[in-house]
Amino acid sequence: MTADILVRDLYYAYPAARPDLPPQPVLRGVNVEIPRGQFVALLGRVGAGKTTLCLTLNGLIPNATGGVFRGDVWVQGRNTKEHPVAALAPLSGMVFQDPEVQLIHTRVDDEIAFGPENLGVPPDEIAERLAWALRVTGLTDFRDRSPLLLSGGEKQRVAIAAVLAMRPQTLVLDEPTASLDPAGKAAIFGVLADLTRQHGMTVLMATQETERALRYADRILVLDEGVLALDGAPEEILREADTLHALGLATPEMTELSRRLSAATGRAYQFNTVSAAYRRLRRETPHGDIIPAPTVVPIPSADPPQIRIEHLFYSYDAERAALRDVNLNLWRGEFVALVGRNGSGKTTLARHLNGLLQPAAGSVSVDGLDTRTQRTSALARRVGYVFQNPDHQIFAATVRDELAFGLRVQGAPAAVVGQQVAKALDLFGLAAHADQPPASLGYGQRRLVALASVLVTQPDTLILDEPTDSLDARSQREIMRVVQQFNAGGGTVLLITHDLRLVANYARRVVALSSGQVIFDGAPAALFGEKRVLAEAGLMAPRVRRLAERLAWSGMPTDILTPEQFVAAWVGRP
Amino acid sequence: MRTDFQLYLRGDSWLHRLDPRVKLAFVVTATLLAFMYPFAWMQLGLIATCSLLLLTARVPAQRILRLWRNMSIVMLLIFVLSALFAGGDSPILFSLGPLNVRVAGIEQGALLALRLLALAMVFAVWLYTTDQTDMVRGFVALHMPYEWGLTLALAFRYLPTFGSLYARIKDAQQARGLDLDAGSLRERVQAYQPILIALVVSALRHGEALGWALEARGLGASDHRTVFKPLHMRRPDWLAAGFLALIVILATILRVF
Repeated sequence: MTADILVRDLYYAYPAARPDLPPQPVLRGVNVEIPRGQFVALLGRVGAGKTTLCLTLNGLIPNATGGVFRGDVWVQGRNTKEHPVAALAPLSGMVFQDPEVQLIHTRVDDEIAFGPENLGVPPDEIAERLAWALRVTGLTDFRDRSPLLLSGGEKQRVAIAAVLAMRPQTLVLDEPTASLDPAGKAAIFGVLADLTRQHGMTVLMATQETERALRYADRILVLDEGVLALDGAPEEILREADTLHALGLATPEMTELSRRLSAATGRAYQFNTVSAAYRRLRRETPHGDIIPAPTVVPIPSADPPQIRIEHLFYSYDAERAALRDVNLNLWRGEFVALVGRNGSGKTTLARHLNGLLQPAAGSVSVDGLDTRTQRTSALARRVGYVFQNPDHQIFAATVRDELAFGLRVQGAPAAVVGQQVAKALDLFGLAAHADQPPASLGYGQRRLVALASVLVTQPDTLILDEPTDSLDARSQREIMRVVQQFNAGGGTVLLITHDLRLVANYARRVVALSSGQVIFDGAPAALFGEKRVLAEAGLMAPRVRRLAERLAWSGMPTDILTPEQFVAAWVGRP
Repeated sequence: MRTDFQLYLRGDSWLHRLDPRVKLAFVVTATLLAFMYPFAWMQLGLIATCSLLLLTARVPAQRILRLWRNMSIVMLLIFVLSALFAGGDSPILFSLGPLNVRVAGIEQGALLALRLLALAMVFAVWLYTTDQTDMVRGFVALHMPYEWGLTLALAFRYLPTFGSLYARIKDAQQARGLDLDAGSLRERVQAYQPILIALVVSALRHGEALGWALEARGLGASDHRTVFKPLHMRRPDWLAAGFLALIVILATILRVF
């Protein structure tokens, strides 16, 4: 069998950002051989070199980027150094993270025909390829629609179909699910598994979705600081769960549970799915004194709420209301998660809290001040807002200046600015980068800078829009550690997220939106019991919770949120 | 996605279906008329014709009114400047300090302002009803190199993207306490600096990624690029083209002789 992708002793460094800096190697001796028909998932922390490796597989590196390139990459027997990118495109299709840069047409069929047209494929054959690409991506009914008006998951499927129409043997995808909601993520993984199993394609996908990668892929590669740290079938990788954890990556929830149970009981537990866990655990019965998780949110104090939202309505256009009669109070020191499908109104609601949007009807007040009477720049002192994309905030020449900006525009004296910035640099572990341009840092660090530059101004309330999305487990923990500290110091947190593990681990209250209405407001443990609400919000309860429910007949309490709580309930006899 | 920067409005009217080459011919013809006949009645006529054409293509009247509103600032500026500084030796209507407002200045200002709106409307007929992919097909059928046509189409395609990028960056900086409406004019202009820097950096990142995406889609791979949906002139297209040709001939005859 011939290898579709062959990477030999690959070393690569991007051209240095400034001539006086030495080039930083991103890949340092990678060797991989991928046979035809495999679905390979590429895991690794942000900055481990995943994107870089992907870009070498269709020749964009080094042909379009320059830099220092040693070693060889062969795609179906062709050395990428010897062929231009456009000539490699029909062999190795590439799908990028951001659909916005890949979709350039206003009709799905034109978008998909674009690649074959460039290759000089005759129109009759383009029509056949178009029909096939639409079918395998489940988009047959979409051919006349505008790609720009589709949901994120649908856009990404159009991007995949557009590449498939060039009939490449190999498909390389760089974190295509990073900004999708759970339904969109599942659809992409399903399409890719089909392409390998039913159409014999070779797929390599860089991703942070450890859980799904282990379920769908045939093989897992783990990159760590430019070298391959692990390479094996999912079963083999699951046995290395400790290594995954040590490398800063997420471990599947059930694997983590079995690890914790083994440690707590001294017995050997080894399961990775809810069903396997159930089969193993049903023979035993829990014997802990169970402390149920609270299902009612205590109101933190008798004080009036800090943020008061009353009968809020808002719409972007005449046809559809984005928010419909939202009533919500936030008290000082709360940690509230805001969940719901893409387009359910989460960001629209959050933007009312600092006056970026003004109510069409109803009212929003912060510390008793009506947001309609306040400028956003004035509300920013009370309500800090960290945007999803750090690059929308970052502009300064150095990290230090970036952090100082918020304090300066709020008129803080220079001495205070210097002091606060130094403190924040330490807290966020950014001191070593203080004099570097923030735009040159890695994605994970840019997100830390964006969070730091908001927190440094010491707002009372912090709004975070998907703060951990497309970050690895360790970077997630770094960000959430700082957010928790802020909350422990009395700050109010509103966290917009799709990640229910994040909700289970950190939030004490959760608000679910659907089509602009609040459909749930209560404790996370209570939300996970509401099947109808979960379905409407496009969410799945954490696996430990679903396992606990299946074990309910044995006396297991069902209001479990995290593996820690499960273990405590399982073995916690005093 | 903010749709207010988007020029093309999807639809299935006769104007949408008209061959993009014929629509281009309309733009050329109407532009010729606007310059060959430097009179207010011609400009008003063009504005009225274009408005009617857009209405028959079911472009909402609001959209047309918004274009008028957007143009009105520039039109006013042109009118005022012409009224104050142009007019040559024609009779003085009244004086504002050292400046004399003359009859010809007023006339010229009105013509320039009206012609600007007329041209905007002419281009709106083309841009609002022509899918950018069709636009490129039209250019290529007229033997423009494909890359040029694509570049132009991409420029229209990314207007809404950069529009919403600008809006998001502005929001992000205001959320950090940046005040855009306070202080002197100089301070206000300076306040936009963080927004512009973030916009340029983001646009550069975007541009690089777009270039890669186009290469990965095989742009330039073959010397013989095929066309999936070739253009065909149908009866209504020939009729419209013939009508436009007639207008050009008549207008030239009436003007020259």
